[in-house]
Amino acid sequence: MELNKKETLRYLGYKGQHMDLEISNLIDEASEELLHSIHPKSVYKEFDCMVQNETTVLLESLSINSRNLAKNLKGCERAIIFAATIGASADMLIKRYSITNLAKASVVQAAGAALIETYCDTLEETIRNEAILKGLYLRPRFSPGYGDFSLEYQRDFFTILECSKRIGITLTDTCLMIPSKSVTAVIGLSKSKNNCLSEKCTSCSNTACEYRDHYYI
Amino acid sequence: MNFRNILGTRMLFFDGAMGTILQSKGLKPGEIPELWNLTHNDTILEIHKSYLKAGCDIIKANTFGANPFKLKDTTYSCEEVVTAGIMLAKDAVAKTNKDAYVALDIGSLGKLLKPLGDLEFTAAYEAFKEICIAGEKAGADLCLIETVSDTYEIKAAVLAAKENTHLPIIVTMIFDEEGKLLTGANVAAATAMLEGLRVDAIGFNCGLGPVQMQKLLPDLHKVCSLPIVVNPNAGLPVVVDGQTMFNVDPDEFADLMKDIALSGASILGGCCGTTPEHIEKTIQMCKDIQPLQIVDKERSVISSYSQIVELNNKPKIIGERINPTGKSRLKQALREDDLEYILKEALAQQESGAHILDVNVGLPEIDEVSLMEKTIIGIQSIVDLPLQIDTSNIEAMKRAMRIYNGKPLINSVNGKQDSMDAVFPLVAQYGGMVVCLTLDETGIPETVEGRIKIAEKIVKEAAKYKIEKKDLIIDTLAMTVSTGQENSKITLDTLDYIRNQMGIHTVLGVSNISFGLPQREKINTAFFTIALYKGLSAGIINPSIEAMMNAYYSYCALSGNDEQCINYINHFSQSTENKTSVSNLQQDQVSLFDAVVKGLSESAYTAAKEMLNTKAPLDLIDEDLIPALDKVGQGFENKTLFLPQLLMSAEAAKSGFHAIKELLAKKGNVSSSKGTIVIATVKGDIHDIGKNIVKVLLENYGFHVIDLGKDVSPEQIVQTAVENQVKLIGLSALMTTTVANMEITIQQLKTALPDCKVMVGGAVLTQTYADMIGADFYSKDAMGSIRYANELFAV
Repeated sequence: MELNKKETLRYLGYKGQHMDLEISNLIDEASEELLHSIHPKSVYKEFDCMVQNETTVLLESLSINSRNLAKNLKGCERAIIFAATIGASADMLIKRYSITNLAKASVVQAAGAALIETYCDTLEETIRNEAILKGLYLRPRFSPGYGDFSLEYQRDFFTILECSKRIGITLTDTCLMIPSKSVTAVIGLSKSKNNCLSEKCTSCSNTACEYRDHYYI
Repeated sequence: MNFRNILGTRMLFFDGAMGTILQSKGLKPGEIPELWNLTHNDTILEIHKSYLKAGCDIIKANTFGANPFKLKDTTYSCEEVVTAGIMLAKDAVAKTNKDAYVALDIGSLGKLLKPLGDLEFTAAYEAFKEICIAGEKAGADLCLIETVSDTYEIKAAVLAAKENTHLPIIVTMIFDEEGKLLTGANVAAATAMLEGLRVDAIGFNCGLGPVQMQKLLPDLHKVCSLPIVVNPNAGLPVVVDGQTMFNVDPDEFADLMKDIALSGASILGGCCGTTPEHIEKTIQMCKDIQPLQIVDKERSVISSYSQIVELNNKPKIIGERINPTGKSRLKQALREDDLEYILKEALAQQESGAHILDVNVGLPEIDEVSLMEKTIIGIQSIVDLPLQIDTSNIEAMKRAMRIYNGKPLINSVNGKQDSMDAVFPLVAQYGGMVVCLTLDETGIPETVEGRIKIAEKIVKEAAKYKIEKKDLIIDTLAMTVSTGQENSKITLDTLDYIRNQMGIHTVLGVSNISFGLPQREKINTAFFTIALYKGLSAGIINPSIEAMMNAYYSYCALSGNDEQCINYINHFSQSTENKTSVSNLQQDQVSLFDAVVKGLSESAYTAAKEMLNTKAPLDLIDEDLIPALDKVGQGFENKTLFLPQLLMSAEAAKSGFHAIKELLAKKGNVSSSKGTIVIATVKGDIHDIGKNIVKVLLENYGFHVIDLGKDVSPEQIVQTAVENQVKLIGLSALMTTTVANMEITIQQLKTALPDCKVMVGGAVLTQTYADMIGADFYSKDAMGSIRYANELFAV
């Protein structure tokens, strides 16, 4: 996998400030260290998908109540649920550097966030290539916690995908994932190319966010 | 026949998959397979019977996920589901008239333990305890702890099985292709811990297929002195049409399993994707193989949560810095509950080359039992070296051994009957190597013979607890040479005999030799070198003293324990570079102000130390440190600097404060503060980097910060705030789900301490949101909290 320094910098709140060699080296060093310690793993399953009405989606036996997800999946007959992680090393490094070098901790945090996104993009690409053979197109991935898609659905996703057994992600009582650099999402598969552009930051209602990527607005 | 007695004497066969077969029989995604024990008992019974007909010796009851966490939202109790599962398996054995054993199948709880996760070790233990008790009561013949990938969870499960049942315990773990568990342990480390805990067999299951497990097997075989289990998946999972498949067919599987048996595994079976046919063919292929004889590997090892240290001909360094004796700054840190200082000491010693860290927190005025526990957990959350639990308080020793993640070194037992009666049962229970002092009721013998006799007595007594010589390390006691000419010779001659005649490892607290003498380093180094030559296995020293490490690296090179002198070369070519860079720095010495602004930690420390010769600490803070921080903070707010730059400066300022604290500790003064602030990441939330940043900045500005950590309950925050009567509390939360807990915390704080102010921050928060939950201040970044705290405390 490759590091995406631009994304790492965005997560660090970088807005074109002057960067001396020390900082630049620190960012490269911490990112490289993380890159060499990650263990990316993923799991996914495909389901029949039915958008029952404006607020309800049915993925086989799992019924999800979310207006935003229903909008995202409208017109899809199949959908994939996937989970991916870069492993626990990012959390371990952050913990260690929080004691010895907070600046490095912040970089590992940002680089980890960028890396898991890159990994999900790669995974999505694999899924896209498989889907295209069947004449299906991918909707932008949509995760629990986006818009009105409740985090509580993480519990169902975790049981369905056997996340803890297969790829070592576990869930806290409050539905947060550990390792923290992990993602779960639904990807709709539709026969038409409509609504298939990546949304990323645009689907989020927090327009005041420090980290909002203005490219997408 | 007693299961323990046949283990390893002939090939034994587990059954194969349950879950993947249930899926093919209609188990829906997300449905809990163990509930089928009650709803589809015929199906489960049939599956067991088909495996028994295939000829297996052990069937896994359908209890893998029957734990209180997974069953929480069902109408069934853990005991009901476990009991039904065991009964079905026993029923299948009875109906097929086979001579087979039923394993209580215990899987991972599906939650990660602290410090990485949110589950307490004791909560995990209690959950496993419930499962184990129910399983034994229902008639299980053994416990199989399987598909686990975190040594800490494994330890909780093994202790629960060991302390609440009489059943044999088998543990099989998920390693990845590189031979690592999820939380980082390699095969040797996991084995060291499990052998210490005295389980009955160890092995692999799930995650990998037979080909990959075969590759990992030598790693296990090399270190393991127990029967080995291999239960692979039917190959690596492949996704076909969005569904997970396992593609190794029964014939190929059986062929591969034969190789595995010939490489030393004596218990075989299958995991995901395997079927009765896989197992039947494997049994046909392997049943007549005579298992390799199990050889005691005679290894003296201790482990951390990820790696081992083996005592052998290459001596090891035990870092002695975490011991308050004679260290005023550490004493202060212990009294003030300053864990961070201790963690830094731990990391510094690791950097200096220590292999093992001694941990001693005994001070007369503190609660050693809880502090020891807290310190061990704290160090193990960031340092991957094995630890030496150093205490004379048996309760503290016990609690520390219990929660230690790995196989610890214990310091110490001695020849007194009382001591042996207290310590050896703990070693037998929790595992560990133990330092044995050659003294007893009569004191410390002044002869070589006297000390050897005590060592022999200890070895004999240890054997009663089945603690072998390989798990003992004898301290022949360095006594100061200033009070007795013969002292050094007695110690060294005893050491020589014990290491070379008795074949037991040795250890010394090296610097004791020079007590009362000037320039102790000089004589310590000489003594250390002689001791190494006589056969010292591990020296308890201060690894930051260059002369001692010089002696160490030189000895290793000269004694043939440093191939091609590689460690020597690495160490010393590096340290010359260090020296030049330090002297360069000294040439263009920067002021404290500039060092902080530029984010240079070492220069900030040196500059502060230098300036403290002529400037009062308070002036240094007000005239140099704070103005520098203000400048950087302003830059951050104006966006001319970004986060890592702010943090580098914060670290540099911290180094400056470190110099001040050292000076004050030496004078016996406590540093004054602008006021006390309690900060915490709220219950349910585990993302605390933002809170940690705020903490460092607040401390830089002279506030005393009580950091309660992450996932902190409202009650604990309120209690701490009330006890300390604080004016300001800072709370962080990352997710919408945990902001709810933030609101509850604020309500409780306002009830208990109506005048207190609460500032909040975190990714999902906004001013509106903060107002809604009743916060007094919303800080959009770390500098915001500084401004607010400064305003609040200026009044």
